Amino acid sequence: MFLMPLLLVFIITIIQDSVYKVVNENQIPLLVMNHDKGVQGQKLIDVLNKSGLFKIDTINQLRQDQIKSELSGRGKMIALFIPDSFSVGLESNAGDVSKILMDDLGLESDSAQSKNVSLPALSFYNDPVLQENYTYSVMGIIQSYMSVIENSLMIDKMYATMEIGEKSEKLKEKMIHNRVKINQVIASGNATAIPNSTQHNVPAWTIFAMFFMVVSLGSNIVKERVSGSFLRLKTMPTSFMLVMFSKMSVYVLVAILQVMLTFSMGVWILPAIGLPELKLPSDLIAFASVVLVSSMAAVSYALMIGAFARTQEQANGFGAISIIIFGAIGGILVPTFVMPAFMQFAGNFSPLHWCLEGFYVLFLKGGSWQELRKVFLFLGSFILICQLCTYFKLRIEKII
Amino acid sequence: MTKLPCIEINNVSQRYPSSKENSLTDISLTINQADVFGLLGPNGAGKTTLISILCGIIPPSSGEITFYAGNTPVSQPDRRRVIGFVPQDYAFYQELTPRQNLDYFGAMYDIPARELKLRREELLDVLGLTKAADKKVETFSGGMKRRVNLAIGIIHKPRILFLDEPTVGVDVQSKNAIILYLQEINRLGTTIVYTSHHMSEAEEFCNRIALIDHGTVISEGGLAELKEKNQVANLQSLFIKLTGEAYRD
Repeated sequence: MFLMPLLLVFIITIIQDSVYKVVNENQIPLLVMNHDKGVQGQKLIDVLNKSGLFKIDTINQLRQDQIKSELSGRGKMIALFIPDSFSVGLESNAGDVSKILMDDLGLESDSAQSKNVSLPALSFYNDPVLQENYTYSVMGIIQSYMSVIENSLMIDKMYATMEIGEKSEKLKEKMIHNRVKINQVIASGNATAIPNSTQHNVPAWTIFAMFFMVVSLGSNIVKERVSGSFLRLKTMPTSFMLVMFSKMSVYVLVAILQVMLTFSMGVWILPAIGLPELKLPSDLIAFASVVLVSSMAAVSYALMIGAFARTQEQANGFGAISIIIFGAIGGILVPTFVMPAFMQFAGNFSPLHWCLEGFYVLFLKGGSWQELRKVFLFLGSFILICQLCTYFKLRIEKII
Repeated sequence: MTKLPCIEINNVSQRYPSSKENSLTDISLTINQADVFGLLGPNGAGKTTLISILCGIIPPSSGEITFYAGNTPVSQPDRRRVIGFVPQDYAFYQELTPRQNLDYFGAMYDIPARELKLRREELLDVLGLTKAADKKVETFSGGMKRRVNLAIGIIHKPRILFLDEPTVGVDVQSKNAIILYLQEINRLGTTIVYTSHHMSEAEEFCNRIALIDHGTVISEGGLAELKEKNQVANLQSLFIKLTGEAYRD
């Protein structure tokens, strides 16, 4: 009950950390092979570096056909190949544009200078596991920096043709830097929190372990039903509800201890091995409420399985498989944001999803009560349904 | 000397919602204080249903049951304090030790801790379980489990003890220990209501019996009286004579 969640959190966080870094961190790891014989290739690398968005590794000495093996060998997911004709092609294109402009303006241009070299193409390599939209985003960024270089080249070419090359800087400055800005506004109370592997995996696998109590509690309930212990209790001067409440309390306490243990690991142990630290939410009452409601949901589900299963084997088998399915669709195994839309919709029917959503609200959205309302509403309804089903099943069996 | 009644069962009938026929029909019996009363009958006769009703596990469909302490009727809430129940199944926690089981079930009767400890050790001793008192019950033989089952049913010294097949599937030594102990507590005033398929054991143990078949009482009274009335030598012959030789499933 305690070792399993600790191991799960520890192992899965280590495994998934690099994946989360690719998606979440500011710097995108990028492998660049620059075979350009001119200066524009290096210029592109410089602007990409200067942007602060990429963490660039260069492998200029290798051949293009070695890029794929280099990608997997170095554990990277994206690579960019700059061909040897990159500078020549760009300059030729800039010359063509300049010539058209000069001709349209009725000015003389030096047609002898222009060589017709076709526009070069960059090659973008990506690991197939990367999401398509993520790949397109990175390509879009590179395209955007390419525009800066192309525009700069065209301006230089036109000014040089007009023999006022030294005056081109002002226009370049104006065109390149005076662009419409987009202000990013994070739509939550906590603008500083960024999701990372720890913030996902620690609560996710703790919830999974909590719900896995179904195997223990569920099969115990079946055992007590089948063996007659419950009937024996019915002949004793005690309230059956009190007995059930005591059982639930013990398991809720175990679930809370699981949270304390795994979250302590997230706070103290994971950072010590280079993983992101788990920062506990500032609203401790909201945190305690999410933990309590999640524990209650897990225990209520286990009780219901125990009340309906005919044998311990059935309770164990169905209970475990249902938790794995709920975990999968609920975003425990793989976060819901990487799932297709219909699976994200299906996730709404998983209690584990709502428990995790509660922790996400705490960690990533500042834990506002307004945002937690939906979580409490779903989990409250789930607890009520499970408890009522358990009650009626035990009533039918004359145990209550 | 006329004995005081302990349990009066008046016109009790029972029909389960899923069944078209009555499990019990119009059962009327009087069990006197300090009786060892045998509820005997073939499989499916309704013995366990009657015991379940008497123990309050299921309510009767109709009829009335009154418990007495001396001359005074025992109120419904107090019934659970005066009865003890030893079911046919091993109704306890096999992953716990006998001590832990006795502590758990004893706590349900609000027995003070010191008293519970003394009672627990006394029962473990009398029923030969002291050596195994800290071992998990799941490792026990059938006879030992039966003794644990009995110990739990009498941890609170009940005035009335219901036993549903208490010696089924146990070795001779365990059976002997159980019967001797039950006779001992009966001598001290405990009324015992008992079901069994062991006719010789019932004949030796019970002073009064009721034969039940198809949910009705077909004969009831003192053992000697019934044998004489039906002109049979023993309880088994009486049983066969009154319930027939056909198999019961």
